[in-house]
Amino acid sequence: MLARSGQIRVEGLTRRFRGPQGGVVAVQPFDLTVGPGGVTGILGPNGSGKSTLLRMILGLVPPGAGATSVDGMPLTGDGLTIRERVAYAPGELAVYGELTGKAHLRWLTAGRRRGTLARAIELADELGLPLRRRVRGYSHGMKRQLLLAAALAPQVPVRILDEPTEGLDPSKRAQIVDLLARDAARGTTILLSSHHLGEVDRVCDRILFMRAGRLIDEEEARSLFRRARRVTRLTLAQPADATTIEHLEGLGAEEVSSDGPRLRFVLPEATHRATLAAILADESLPAPQALSFGDASLEEIYRTLYGSEGI
Amino acid sequence: MRSLLLYTLLYTIVMELMLVAAVLYWPDFEQNVDALRLLAPIKSVKDIVQEIEQEGVIPYITSQQFFKGGNTLGTAAAVLFAVGAVAGEAHRGTLELLLARPYSRLRILSERWLFGAVCCCLPVFLTSATIPWMGSWIDEDFDIVPLMLCSVHESLFLLAVYGAAFFCSTIGSNPTRIALVLLFVSTFQFAIYFIEVVTKWSLYRLADLKDFTKIYEDYALDWTVCGPLVAAIVLSFTASYLAFRRRLP
Repeated sequence: MLARSGQIRVEGLTRRFRGPQGGVVAVQPFDLTVGPGGVTGILGPNGSGKSTLLRMILGLVPPGAGATSVDGMPLTGDGLTIRERVAYAPGELAVYGELTGKAHLRWLTAGRRRGTLARAIELADELGLPLRRRVRGYSHGMKRQLLLAAALAPQVPVRILDEPTEGLDPSKRAQIVDLLARDAARGTTILLSSHHLGEVDRVCDRILFMRAGRLIDEEEARSLFRRARRVTRLTLAQPADATTIEHLEGLGAEEVSSDGPRLRFVLPEATHRATLAAILADESLPAPQALSFGDASLEEIYRTLYGSEGI
Repeated sequence: MRSLLLYTLLYTIVMELMLVAAVLYWPDFEQNVDALRLLAPIKSVKDIVQEIEQEGVIPYITSQQFFKGGNTLGTAAAVLFAVGAVAGEAHRGTLELLLARPYSRLRILSERWLFGAVCCCLPVFLTSATIPWMGSWIDEDFDIVPLMLCSVHESLFLLAVYGAAFFCSTIGSNPTRIALVLLFVSTFQFAIYFIEVVTKWSLYRLADLKDFTKIYEDYALDWTVCGPLVAAIVLSFTASYLAFRRRLP
């Protein structure tokens, strides 16, 4: 099959690292095709193999077995053919503190097509980065944005971003998510790893879960996501007792749990609107004080997927 | 890179100052060379002084510039300039950024190697080039050609040291530890040069005063010494590349 522009293919990729008690398998063999186009998010607890997978696709970590390709170009040698087609923002926040922001962008975009530096500067200005200042004076978030500006500037078919919004405040995170959405709208394939369910939910059109180097079934992950969107938190004027919980279950709420006046329950998929309306309208319940809907944390999803360990 | 340039400038200035001091000291040295030979505590030093006594200012200036300045300061510079190349990047966490750019690993490594190598050798040539000019202060004439040939020989020795340190940098992640170990080894090697029974095992025999005097006599490099040095440089670079090709960020 001929690969289209921006398609990443992974076939049986494996990597084993040497550990204190023999080998530690970071990535188990699995197959995956990403793109062309769209934003794919990889979620998983720490040590699940997300970063190793991204580095292997780029050729930064040589695979133990298996193959990867971008646009049909296989990963060979040191992966130069792949890195020419892929822009990358690493998860580790290490920078050259002695350089100014502009000099750092020049260094990061070296080897790319003409105009890349100008675009990187434009993006950095849009993000409000002080490019004349030395990078050692930048905050954690500013360093992250600098690396992102450099990774979003090159005109390449694929971008790989490892934890692109880690350490950013919510407004900057939203700005980055907008930039990613704009980039994806131009047809770029974006593969990112993240710990923020909200941003992944907002920008990604495909979500993959990894655990212990394995990819979890996508259908299972999709159904968990749908379920996460129906998680509801309701704070009542008085603490909830057993009768309140029974009453809520009678109205159709599932998996009801309480902590004083705070209730957590899942609305049924088919009738979630009607059930929520019925709960709010029911005058036999104590008066509602606060309500949030569809904001299950990533930890909650991890717990459902992986159990309590490895979160 | 900028810090490396600053260190190179400092290394050049210190070498030049050492050379100025040596040139200005020559008249006193020449006058007291008899006494100095008698005072020399060990045979190796006695031999050097004797050679200067017989041959005059040429062995004096080559021993000062190449054997003393190049072999001590140059070796330290070679080690310090090499260890940061890869291990320094790994230590500060920027190796991943370096490797993720759209350049081949061979190019990344070659650029780093060459830049450090130039920083390591250029001061030797620059300071040696000022010797003929300084000769007028002491009414001595120095031919530039053998001085440049001596600089080539000294640079090959320094590049062999630099190559070994560079290889250690490609396999290690702690530049301070690598530098300390290599500086200890080089100090040990320099020390055993002066011990008669083991002097033949000193690597500093490869950049010995006799080699520089021979260059003056032959007006040519001695390839029986320079050949192995070139081979060591090529070998160390090849080993560095093979290690760097598999290096994880």
